[in-house]
Amino acid sequence: MTTGPAEVFDLGYQPYEGGRTTRWSRRRAIWRDGIRISFGLGRGAGAKFAPWLLIALALVPAAVLVVISAFTSPTAADPDDFELPSYAEYYGFAMVPLGLFAAIVAPLLICPDRRDGVLSLYAARPITPTDYVASRWAAFLTVATATAWLPEAILFTWNGLDAESTGSWLGDNWDVVPRFLLAGATVAVVFTTLSLLTASLSSRRAYAAVATLAVLFVGSAVGGIAEENFTGPVSDAVSLASLPQALEDSVRWIFGEDLSERPLPGSVSFLWLVGLTLVLAVALQRRTAGLVRG
Amino acid sequence: MALLHARDLTKSYGSVRALDGVSFEIEPGITGLLGSNGAGKTTSLKLFMGLLDPDSGSVEVLGADTRSSPEYRTRIGYAPEHDCLPLSVPAAEFLAYMAEVSGLPRTAARLRASDVLRHVGLFEERYRAMGTYSTGMKQRVKLAQALVHDPVLAFLDEPTAGLDPLGRREMLELIRRVGREFGISIVISTHLMGDVERTCDSVIVLDAGRVLRTGAISGFVEETETLEVELVEGAAELAAELERQGLAPRLDGSRLTLEAVSGEDYDTLRDAIVDSSAVLYRLAPSRLSLADVFTPVVAAVDEAEAEGSGV
Repeated sequence: MTTGPAEVFDLGYQPYEGGRTTRWSRRRAIWRDGIRISFGLGRGAGAKFAPWLLIALALVPAAVLVVISAFTSPTAADPDDFELPSYAEYYGFAMVPLGLFAAIVAPLLICPDRRDGVLSLYAARPITPTDYVASRWAAFLTVATATAWLPEAILFTWNGLDAESTGSWLGDNWDVVPRFLLAGATVAVVFTTLSLLTASLSSRRAYAAVATLAVLFVGSAVGGIAEENFTGPVSDAVSLASLPQALEDSVRWIFGEDLSERPLPGSVSFLWLVGLTLVLAVALQRRTAGLVRG
Repeated sequence: MALLHARDLTKSYGSVRALDGVSFEIEPGITGLLGSNGAGKTTSLKLFMGLLDPDSGSVEVLGADTRSSPEYRTRIGYAPEHDCLPLSVPAAEFLAYMAEVSGLPRTAARLRASDVLRHVGLFEERYRAMGTYSTGMKQRVKLAQALVHDPVLAFLDEPTAGLDPLGRREMLELIRRVGREFGISIVISTHLMGDVERTCDSVIVLDAGRVLRTGAISGFVEETETLEVELVEGAAELAAELERQGLAPRLDGSRLTLEAVSGEDYDTLRDAIVDSSAVLYRLAPSRLSLADVFTPVVAAVDEAEAEGSGV
């Protein structure tokens, strides 16, 4: 049997004759892309370094504490020798890596699109500018919320397994789950909205990150000075400028802790964060819509 | 059937009127939107894509009012003049993503991305980050992302900007292929008459926010067809004979020029050469370029405006 030389046939241009997706699918595509960017997936090692380092900073302490607890609790003479932090305390600790994560990683979802001129391509697609920014916001919120929830989930799981009777422990502590979900979502929503808004104000990632950190640190300083050195309703209101403190108070309020030593009730801090986030979200939508439309 | 209807479009930015009541239609094929900087080309494109709302008038693209839902953009492609590519991402990944955002399912988007990159000559380089591409390759990716979702109509803003002569020729050839072989209608916004002349079937000439002229390219150049006749001897006798036959030759030494010639004029010329015993050296038709056609018109309009405003 003989065979002839191989031939390559050019079929020419093939028009697309399949179905088209809905606008929700297009939004999902932008959301998925945002998640990939947040984790540095499909990019070089450099793009993965910052997000995974900061996620590890938020996560590893919980894992280490659980391991220490696992080794110490069976041998400890007094069960109170080593105690895991409370869920609210852990959020207080995780606030720093979560804030850094938002400040450094969130700009990746908007600044490169702006710097490279990709926004003009989104403008020509069958989506609105609000679709774009809402999908990006939802993408980073997904990542930030998961990062906030995961250590709490580890602590909760270990506490359940470490209990004498896991079933009865779950019956007594089931209400912790909605509390840590709400607390994590609150922290993530505030950090996501703030960091994406500052990202929309600059095409340079570094500037956006510094701006977010400046808002957090300067606000903390102003709020701290007002709280430490003054008394009265004005200083109480100014103390809300410290977003990390307002978040910590809100988290403690969500977990039902006593906040009598704080100048304002936890519910006020929570409502302040809700209102502030709505204002930031409107500003983010308007700013990004303007950028997309060119 | 026209793909795009613009009706009495007016758009101002503050006191500057970018478009002043323009109306035109864009038919299937390759259309040039020709004009100098500030003529209103970019504003027109933004109105076509619904990124701007007109102060008055309306734009209908593929039967949809551009102020309605963005859904009509599933059938629209756009390649901007400026840089628009994420340099750290491979072309195949970026095109697949853009196809998905344009309304293609995920699997189809990946297949189309590779296919379109093959058509623009970047199949081998499709997994390389676009930051490593040359200017010509980036222009091809810009064209590819405008085509990846198989649009009916694609808007290309200055597609040859920044290209060397060879790259420019290749890009114009590619655009011609897209228009003729792929069946995708193209609107090229450019200030380069040569690009329009080489590529387009029809042209819309904008000047200072108004439509100067619209129509088929062939119509413009046929109107301006001339015949150059070069003679060894007997040029004056031939000119006299042609005048007797009712033509109006322009005599320049041993050369005659006949303007706006028709098929019958060739027969008249042949007979006149025989009757006048002139010795023919060369006979050649020639056409004016678009630049020859429009540059005097634009200059005349500008002059008239300057006089009208007392400048």
